[in-house]
Amino acid sequence: MSRRAQENIVAIVFLAMFAGVVVLSLDFGPRARMIPLPLGILGVILALIQLVWQNLGSTDTLKMDMIEVSNPPGVEAAAAEARASEAKARNAEPSLSRRAGAYGIVALLLALILAFGPVLAVFAFTLGYFVVTRYYTPILAFVYAAAFTAAIDLLFFVLLEVNPYYGLLAPVIARFQ
Amino acid sequence: MLDAIAAGLLALLTPQALLFMLIGVVYGLVIGILPGLGGVVAMALLLPFTYGFETEATLALLLGAHIATIWGDSVTSILFSVPGSAKGLALCFDGYPMTKQGQATRALAASATGALMGGVIGAVFLAICIPLIRPVILALGPSEYLMMALWGLTVIATFSEGSLVKGLIASVLGVLVAFVGMDVVTATPRFTFGSEFLMDGISFPVAMIGLFAVSEMMKLAVRGTPIVDRALMQETSTVWQGIKDALGHWWLVVRSSVLGLWIGVLPGVGASVAGLAAYAQAVQTSRTPERFGKGAVEGVIAPDATMGSNEGGGLMPTLAFGIPGGESMAILLVAFIGLGVVPGPEMLTKNLGLVFSMVWIIVLANVLVTLIGLGITPWLARLPSLHANLMVPLVLCVCLVGAYATRGRIEDVVVAAIFGIAGYLMDAYRYSRANFVIGMVLATMIERNLHISLSLHGNGFLMQRPIALALLVLVVLTAASPFIRNWRKRKRLAARGAST
Repeated sequence: MSRRAQENIVAIVFLAMFAGVVVLSLDFGPRARMIPLPLGILGVILALIQLVWQNLGSTDTLKMDMIEVSNPPGVEAAAAEARASEAKARNAEPSLSRRAGAYGIVALLLALILAFGPVLAVFAFTLGYFVVTRYYTPILAFVYAAAFTAAIDLLFFVLLEVNPYYGLLAPVIARFQ
Repeated sequence: MLDAIAAGLLALLTPQALLFMLIGVVYGLVIGILPGLGGVVAMALLLPFTYGFETEATLALLLGAHIATIWGDSVTSILFSVPGSAKGLALCFDGYPMTKQGQATRALAASATGALMGGVIGAVFLAICIPLIRPVILALGPSEYLMMALWGLTVIATFSEGSLVKGLIASVLGVLVAFVGMDVVTATPRFTFGSEFLMDGISFPVAMIGLFAVSEMMKLAVRGTPIVDRALMQETSTVWQGIKDALGHWWLVVRSSVLGLWIGVLPGVGASVAGLAAYAQAVQTSRTPERFGKGAVEGVIAPDATMGSNEGGGLMPTLAFGIPGGESMAILLVAFIGLGVVPGPEMLTKNLGLVFSMVWIIVLANVLVTLIGLGITPWLARLPSLHANLMVPLVLCVCLVGAYATRGRIEDVVVAAIFGIAGYLMDAYRYSRANFVIGMVLATMIERNLHISLSLHGNGFLMQRPIALALLVLVVLTAASPFIRNWRKRKRLAARGAST
């Protein structure tokens, strides 16, 4: 999928969100919608401008660069170089599989925490990550994951006294308690 | 005033506050030296630990970490020409050539001393400005605060990185996200979709952890390589050389610090611009500008002094008006909210001691950063060779467990993950996360002051408050400035094209 198509999808998502805000705000009382409603409308307008503009030209020209405004001659080249390297980095897009992997990592840890609670999830996730990526041998991975989990447990649940959460294991834990 | 200055220092001289500052500084150095994990990530990750401790100790932890990350950022720029964030870019121009010439220790020492001197100048400026600005702040009413918040938001959207429209979209979305939950004025649940959890609104610390820390880990996971994969050069210089360099160029330090203060006071104009502007200023004022880019020590001192003083400047609008100068100041504001501290007039009347505590924190943290940093630099410099496969699982776990710890609610973990993915997408498609966060922080201020203005002065409150009206004109002019500039630029290009 081209960069422009991706940008269009993002702009459409924003447009839909702002439109949703407008619709939802109409149900609020006059005082409660005093800011959300105009902001929602402004958001719709901005998203439409972005959508139209990115297909006709570039909104990147519409920015105020403090370096350009203050215009110190010595820094122009440096700023241009910085922008060029930034643009180069941006154009070097990661593959879809790598990006999907990043989403998957977050989703997996979230699912583990929801299912088994933070402590067990941290252990399973770090152990799995080290083993799957072959960063450590299984034995070392087990040792480091256990040590890290113990540190997390000590910091959050012992020292900071955060109430533990056990997810699906709550009935089992309750039986033992 | 003197009482407040003394009280501010005394409040910091508790074992807890000193320990927290030390922890914050060491932690900040470690995070700052890891490219990609700047001060914002450092502060976002600390937010879950800001509850239940002394206010001064908590601020010492946060500010200490933030100040340390600024210099930590310089380390990788100088040693590897890999800036941790945009603000470290200017240091690559001369810092890295110095490293290649075996002058890394000298460059690091000059950078640390420059940052220390800049930081102290910034703190002194903040202390001097407090009595000067107090009458101004006390004279302003809710209508003026409303307009200032709107102006701050417009300036941030206009001057921040990327396109103006995208910046504005991010700001608007940030403001709207802050409205999720029960409206305190009308007791109306807004955008809660019947969820009891959303009635309490989106927790700011959780949103910050997601937007900055989780999304940075996702970026690192996508990259999947060591952050920096380069060996250190053979060293021939000493720490003392660098310290002498910074002290010898004291006038350059003062000039750069003043520049940093000015840029810090302006909302939305971050330290990245400050570093480059300081470098340009150093080149322009040098008698031997041809040395720059080849390892001139002034090219290291000037950006660091500017970035050091930038913090004092950035704290001014944050403390005085509740308008954050940048994303790190927005996170500091979030911490204030958690601690029950309200920026604005109250800050400079009831909490003056706390303000001076912050001034002292800037000074002491800068001293600590310099002392510790110089001592452990050789060890710290090896941190960026840590592989993403080690960093990602560990930091990601701390992020999501930290999100749970903020309120002890499992739903917050889901919120952090959603914000993490949103932050990653926003970064990938250049919708400023900083604008989003600052919008979120300013939303409450905007709505509260609008309601108060309407209650006090009625619908035509702008007509009764000339300063507020003038500020509104400023908002419109600020928002229109890029369009005017663009129009002028096209006109100029067209004229040039016609003449040729």
